[in-house]
Amino acid sequence: MKRLVTDRVLLLVALLVVLVVWMSVLGSNGYLVAPYDVDYLLSSLESVVPLCLLGVAELLVIVSGRGGIDLSVGAMVSLVGMAFGFMVGVWHWPVWAAIVGALLAGAVLGAVNGFLVAWLGVPALIATLATYYAFSSLALVSNDNAPISTQPVQDLHSLTSTVGQVPSQVFTFLLPCAALAWLLANRTNYGRRLYAVGTNEAAARFAGLHVVGIRFRAYVLSGMLSAVVAVITVAQFASARPDAGTVGNGMALPAITIAILGGTAITGGIGRIGGVVVASLFVVWLNAGILLAFEDSRGSQYQLLALGVVLVFSALLNRLTLRTDHSLK
Amino acid sequence: MSKTEGQEVVLIAVLVVLWLALGFGTDTFFAASNLQNILATVAPVTIIGIGMTAVIVTGGIDVSVGSALAVVLVVVAKMVRDSGLTLVPAVIAGLVTGGVLGALNGALVAYGRVHAIIITFGTLNIFRFVALQIFDGKEVAGVPGTLEFLGGGTEGRSFGIPHSWLLAVLLAAGMWFYMRHAPTGRHLYAIGGNAPAAWLAGIRVNRRLVGVYAVTGILVGLAACCVIGGGGLVAQSAGTGLELQVIAAVVIGGTSILGGRGSVLGTVLGALLVGTVTSAVTLLGWHSELTALFIGVFILLAVGADLGRVSRPPSAIAGPDAVPDATAETPKDNQYSRHSGGDARNRPDPDSHRTGTPRHGQMRERRRRRE
Repeated sequence: MKRLVTDRVLLLVALLVVLVVWMSVLGSNGYLVAPYDVDYLLSSLESVVPLCLLGVAELLVIVSGRGGIDLSVGAMVSLVGMAFGFMVGVWHWPVWAAIVGALLAGAVLGAVNGFLVAWLGVPALIATLATYYAFSSLALVSNDNAPISTQPVQDLHSLTSTVGQVPSQVFTFLLPCAALAWLLANRTNYGRRLYAVGTNEAAARFAGLHVVGIRFRAYVLSGMLSAVVAVITVAQFASARPDAGTVGNGMALPAITIAILGGTAITGGIGRIGGVVVASLFVVWLNAGILLAFEDSRGSQYQLLALGVVLVFSALLNRLTLRTDHSLK
Repeated sequence: MSKTEGQEVVLIAVLVVLWLALGFGTDTFFAASNLQNILATVAPVTIIGIGMTAVIVTGGIDVSVGSALAVVLVVVAKMVRDSGLTLVPAVIAGLVTGGVLGALNGALVAYGRVHAIIITFGTLNIFRFVALQIFDGKEVAGVPGTLEFLGGGTEGRSFGIPHSWLLAVLLAAGMWFYMRHAPTGRHLYAIGGNAPAAWLAGIRVNRRLVGVYAVTGILVGLAACCVIGGGGLVAQSAGTGLELQVIAAVVIGGTSILGGRGSVLGTVLGALLVGTVTSAVTLLGWHSELTALFIGVFILLAVGADLGRVSRPPSAIAGPDAVPDATAETPKDNQYSRHSGGDARNRPDPDSHRTGTPRHGQMRERRRRRE
């Protein structure tokens, strides 16, 4: 029982089970407008993919410490998406080359953030706020505020076909990226060093780690993950939209929310990939359930409420668990 | 203080250069209507920025202001339209609504001991939900001109200057005086500099925190009244992205996002700069989307100037491979581990903050006598 409160991943899994069981019971008793069944859950995985990948990106930069955060992920999705659209739709590159190009573009944009934050020491919140403005503006200007949806771009839609009921990008993009991120964080020297830098920068420096370079790479990785999301988003909409990642509240806020809900400590050094994956599943399936509970569009409003309440409560719970640890010592 | 004043001098210089360039480069920049338009547009951002500066000086942040603005907008607009409220009650309703939302943020940040960015990300969503519920699926159209006194139209100007801008300048001056000369205003800097030390010195940290967030909420309420006064319908997406504009104005004004340093005057200049750039891009006939790019560049320039000016303290952390720049802020190493945020294990037992040992009672007493 104790572990359930202190271990964020276990807690989220328990919540997830409660949610699915509760929703299914509601559904089978006719309280929902459509059945909340396996098919529905699988097809809603479509929205897990971008959320989870950007959540992992936020996790990496937040773990890197010193107030790490990346407000520019949504803007990078827009800008890389436009670049990808140009490569495929206007310059007629083969798709694999365009994907490599998109990843490179994402790495370059991430490197701009990393240079500002790690090398120059600009606070991450400010640096990425500035690049958020800059990247989203460049994305809009790149094609005169118009989307690119020529035939080659529309053909990309086949990338997001479904396998059974599951959207194929879960297998082609999400699982490989999540597995790589998990390996990187838990099984490589770099992962260990990243957590070391986030936990105690001074100690890491005295241990001979190149703090600046390690933090820099976290932002580059965040840019590359945004590039992956950009490719998926372009394929999903069969069109490269200049405001894909920044429309409305943008993609950055939900991604940060997911990372924090997944147990990432905003102070750096703490956070697990598994937590982010389960958190994004939880939020998406919760949203999917809420959508079914209302006949009109009010469901989408209650999604906002649920996200906000879940975030505040999970943060307060974080405090509680930290304080419990403290009193035990 | 001299450091922040440096930023203000630079900003004034940049503004003057920009204005001169625009005055020579375009025919219409110095036309009264254009200047009035800039001031009226900038006023709401400035008014909210006054509160945001205080919040950021304490080491916090409030990203929920856009959603809070939407709530106040819809509440006040519906009250004015459906109940026929007059100017003063309408403004009071706006201030109260905003104040309640702000106090909620403040209470969660101060007593929940979670970093402000997380709490206000949460309330951003919750406030937007509340606003959408009150909107009830439709934008609010046909709001009578009760609040035009605060808008930028002909009704809302004296001697050609929009009332909302006069109000913003007045409030900024008041806040500047408060933060610089009132003891409780100085406390805000102390909290941002080192919250545990401030608390040990007898400052009521939680009370000040709730106060600054509540004041920010009240100012959001006032800004909402100005927006309604500007006319037009109140759309459901109102206020989206406003928080970033306000934070940009504050940061360009030289306030340190790490807390403990900054001034309201810089924020006013920062907001003016953003307004000038927006207007300039339009007048020069460039893509309006380029505005955001320039704002981003100005943010980086402002922070770069700030980093360049801050003297680098000798630091024990500087190891063999330390890059000079990376040590510039070592005392404020982790912005999120300050006041209510961060790691409980590095701080005094949180519960003792509230009980207050006799010793602290004495210190408080002594301080009170001094004042």
